[in-house]
Amino acid sequence: MTRPLSLLLTLAICSLLIPSCTKKEEGGHAKIIGVTLLTRGHVFYKDLEEGLRTEAVKNNYELIVTAGEFDLGKQIAQIEDFVARKVDAIIVCPVDSKGIGSGIRKANQAKIPVFTADIAAFEGDVVSHIASDNELGGKRAAEYLAKVLHGKGKIAIINQPTVTSVLDRIAGFKKELEKFPDITVVADVNGDGVRDRSLQVSSDILQAHPDLDGIFGINDDSALGALDAVQQFKRKNVVIIGYDATPPAVAAILRNTSLKADVVQYPKKIGSSTISAIKDYFAGYSVEKRYAVEVGIVDREALRKIPVQ
Amino acid sequence: MVMSNSSRTLSSVLGKFGIGMTLLVEVILFSQFSAYFFTAENILNVSLQLSITAIIAAGMTFVILTSGIDLSVGALVAFTGVIATSVLKLSIPLLISFPLAIVVGLLIGVCSGAFAGVCVTRFSITPFIATLALMTIFRGAAYMYTDGRPIWGLPPEFSLLASGRLFGIPIPTLITICVYGAGYLVLHWTRFGRYVYAVGGNREAARLAGINTNRVLVSVYAICGVLTSLSGILLAARVNSGQPNAGLMYELDVIAAVVVGGTSLSGGRGTIVGTLLGAVLIGVLRNGLNLLNVNSYVQQVVVGLVILVTVMMDQSKKK
Repeated sequence: MTRPLSLLLTLAICSLLIPSCTKKEEGGHAKIIGVTLLTRGHVFYKDLEEGLRTEAVKNNYELIVTAGEFDLGKQIAQIEDFVARKVDAIIVCPVDSKGIGSGIRKANQAKIPVFTADIAAFEGDVVSHIASDNELGGKRAAEYLAKVLHGKGKIAIINQPTVTSVLDRIAGFKKELEKFPDITVVADVNGDGVRDRSLQVSSDILQAHPDLDGIFGINDDSALGALDAVQQFKRKNVVIIGYDATPPAVAAILRNTSLKADVVQYPKKIGSSTISAIKDYFAGYSVEKRYAVEVGIVDREALRKIPVQ
Repeated sequence: MVMSNSSRTLSSVLGKFGIGMTLLVEVILFSQFSAYFFTAENILNVSLQLSITAIIAAGMTFVILTSGIDLSVGALVAFTGVIATSVLKLSIPLLISFPLAIVVGLLIGVCSGAFAGVCVTRFSITPFIATLALMTIFRGAAYMYTDGRPIWGLPPEFSLLASGRLFGIPIPTLITICVYGAGYLVLHWTRFGRYVYAVGGNREAARLAGINTNRVLVSVYAICGVLTSLSGILLAARVNSGQPNAGLMYELDVIAAVVVGGTSLSGGRGTIVGTLLGAVLIGVLRNGLNLLNVNSYVQQVVVGLVILVTVMMDQSKKK
């Protein structure tokens, strides 16, 4: 009894999928692009998906959007399905930079071009990687901090030195600071990118440096942890810069706290740039190995004009 | 029984002496190198910081004394934090939601601990595995419940629980002192306390002597659970939000504090005062290294070395 039932269910599900398959026949030679995102449950990826879709519509590409939902096995299976369907290109936001290699290699064997967006893959052949320019993000943070501090003061970094994108942010940050010899980095500590640890290390820094002027948090949890510490010790003069402009950080900036500005990424632009790179590839143009998408910085003034989310 | 009792106190006194030495050396060194270390404000800062792990370590001492272990504490901190903060987000008056959040939070700890205890006793699952399973269950549940995002926008009164001061001393520090006072009384002045040592020393002998060992075991895990949840609530108040990724790897910090404090992982030997010293030793070390701006990679190595040396001194004194 259960077996016919499950068979029936499978058939029903398949029949639901068929309309999306047949669509391409009508379009004639419309290119099909398979997409597997990290997740569809996060605003950042929703925006990235929107960027992909708007640009794909412009170019008459058909997108098949799936997501690994933090499950590497699932994501590899999705790539295998794309290979079986003989799509024209595959876009991956890897669940795991190393583990995704085996999936990408399967696409390589089938001679289907692979593009990565937002998160890079360390193994397999990838035509191009499109992601935020983290170095520029660090530079923007440094510029802003230097402007608020009038080019002079003592600052600290709440770091997470085990993550590659963070290392890029710090590199850009420090490079920009070289232009301001009167700004010194007096502390560079690891907050593990989480709010509770960042609070702990920030309170230590505030103890060690009673004359601290600014803090750069490599992500919003680091910056918010620093803000917790600054509020605890009532050190209102310390300026904090965060990264990512998540809702709690945006709220803190709008409340006029010590968190003064945040670096923002533009996920929609990452999406549209990815499709543009694929378009260039289809047209036979040479494609850069890496496309860095610009980032911006928002403070209270900017947020009041255009809300981020 | 009497023999092991007296030798236990002797070794624990020596053990305390060993860790006291390390702590003293640490304090002297840090005071030498940083002008900000030995200040009233920094001492209160350290006490506030280490209160979170110290409170859990008090509970963990009970568990380890029975030769058990509880790996679920870090994840339980996060789970309690997100549940308690979401109670605060309910649209009911703060006068009700505030105590309700605390009661619900503590209940989670009691139930989780008691459940771990039942797994260990009735189902004979080794504590390591039972609490390892709970660890991943709670961590996953915290992420599921919050969809990976923090719970924020809490009433500002909640953060007073962590940032508030009584007689100039941070509230979490006062709570830590109370927890250790109560723990000391229970462990050394009550029948239950003696049972805990007996069960850890030799569970079978304790059972034959008429002790309800299962009840003792379920109780110690429940104690550890409720203290963990207490910490989880305090941590949520400190960061004024429910973070599903809070308390990562806390279990290791807590176990390190207990072991550095001279409690034997094979059970039956150790003191709660030792645990407090262990927690202080590690907390002061982290703070001092941060004050001196020591590279974070180096810090991890230094903390590991200090743990090793302290336990070595403790062991050699016991021989």
